[in-house]
Amino acid sequence: MNVIEVRKVTKIYEEGEKPALDAVDFYVSKGEFVFLVGPSGSGKSTFIRLLLREILPTKGEVYVAGQNIARLRPWKIPRLRRSIGCVFQDFKLLPNKTAFENVAFALEVINRPAHIIRTQVPEVLNLVGLGEKFNSYPDELSGGEQQRVSIARSFVNRPPLLLADEPTGNLDPATSQEIMSLLNRINRTGTTVVVATHDREIVNAWRKRVVALEGGKIVRDQTRGVYGYEEQELI
Amino acid sequence: MRKKMVYFIKEAFTSFKRNLVMSIAAVSTVFLTLFLVGSFTFLAFIGSKLIDAQEKKVEIEVFLSESAPSEKIQGLQNRIVTWSEVSRVRYVSKNDALKRLKSMFKDAPEILEELPGNPLSPSLQVRLKDTRKVESVALKIKKQPHVKEIINDPDKDVKYGQKYVPKLFAVTRIFRWAGIGTISLLGFASLVLIVNTIRLAIFSRRREVAIMRLVGASNWFIRWPFMLEGIFQGLIGAFLTVVILFIIKTSLFKYQIIQFFTWLGVSMDYQPLLSQFYILLLALILGGIVIGATGSAIALRRFLKV
Repeated sequence: MNVIEVRKVTKIYEEGEKPALDAVDFYVSKGEFVFLVGPSGSGKSTFIRLLLREILPTKGEVYVAGQNIARLRPWKIPRLRRSIGCVFQDFKLLPNKTAFENVAFALEVINRPAHIIRTQVPEVLNLVGLGEKFNSYPDELSGGEQQRVSIARSFVNRPPLLLADEPTGNLDPATSQEIMSLLNRINRTGTTVVVATHDREIVNAWRKRVVALEGGKIVRDQTRGVYGYEEQELI
Repeated sequence: MRKKMVYFIKEAFTSFKRNLVMSIAAVSTVFLTLFLVGSFTFLAFIGSKLIDAQEKKVEIEVFLSESAPSEKIQGLQNRIVTWSEVSRVRYVSKNDALKRLKSMFKDAPEILEELPGNPLSPSLQVRLKDTRKVESVALKIKKQPHVKEIINDPDKDVKYGQKYVPKLFAVTRIFRWAGIGTISLLGFASLVLIVNTIRLAIFSRRREVAIMRLVGASNWFIRWPFMLEGIFQGLIGAFLTVVILFIIKTSLFKYQIIQFFTWLGVSMDYQPLLSQFYILLLALILGGIVIGATGSAIALRRFLKV
């Protein structure tokens, strides 16, 4: 079963402009780990935003977990988002909430009872290696730690799909590798993971499926791939 | 749902505490504007009482001819009393009228000594429930059947201060409308000011709202804590206003400043004024709550669009 089905999708933000995505066909089946690579402006973020139904396609159809996102009634959109964990370059943590509260928020939203929140949040925070910093606010945490909180939040309600948009964009190489192993571990629990990135080192280190976007078109789709053509020639 | 409410209330409180500067700004805006509206409305209440007192003084005097048979006078009096506009009709005899005149001039009795006997006419004093109807009631009296047998010249002898009464009512009408106009304007300005402050507070947190939506929070899940926070801010602001207004009212009575009007010759009943005052306080609190809640809801609207 495909968790993501993107059929001939074109996205044009403003009439007359060059399309951000141009007739893209793309499928991700359950349990896959996919790197979405390409330079800035290649359409990676548009892609992620389509899957989250922040925007609608101009042409074509987008299915997430079997649901056509264009047909989704407005009140059902929150439900779609609850089934997608997301991690961003800028972490997107609530500044007035502690690490614990930020993670707990994702469970409050889906009406989990307090006793479940009390047990699950520490469990997930321990999993991402933040056992000591439950009560720190985001501005008291390093970038890597904030990204861990963000991953904990995206994962705490065990969504079938996890989207990460440049998750290592603001982090140093060592921390980036740690974040990636975290995402890999989450993938091994059966969660489908899609990582949009232009971090060459990471893509080359992990050898997962690589989908390369350029100018809004998919130019390469490779299992156990590498970042660019240069590396391919070296292999 | 009830359990969620507890969570929302807790959220609203924490958010109030953690965004203290914005909270204080919102509370003081609510306080200052409601205080302005509240104190002006209270002043308007007092003013309206003064106007009422002036208007209540308007009476119709029906001067009767001396030859009028007393049963006819009684008949007219009984008829007038039954009219819905009339609150009381009193018969003042020739002697009563003289006594009244004497008491009016008791400091200068020599003025009255010149009077040849008693030149005054007996009269009926007609007091009205609504003095603005004075003209129509006077006309009605003049048109009573056989009125000529009781009143010599109905056009002259039915008196209600024809010259100054219309002017008085013109002036009081202006005062009333000016009061209503000023209060509505002030109220509107307060509304705009408060809603804008809350909007600013929420605008500074639009990123938070966006994050909540990304995590999959429904619109109401986001809205509730913000609205409760707004209610909370409105409530505190209104409460401060009520406390200050209450202190002002108490000292007005304690130092007998209100009684100043009695000294001015305006008799006033303070009891209705007081109950109006308490209704005003209640309205201010309710207003604070409603403005806080709707202000937040309005401010959130543009960030909650799908």
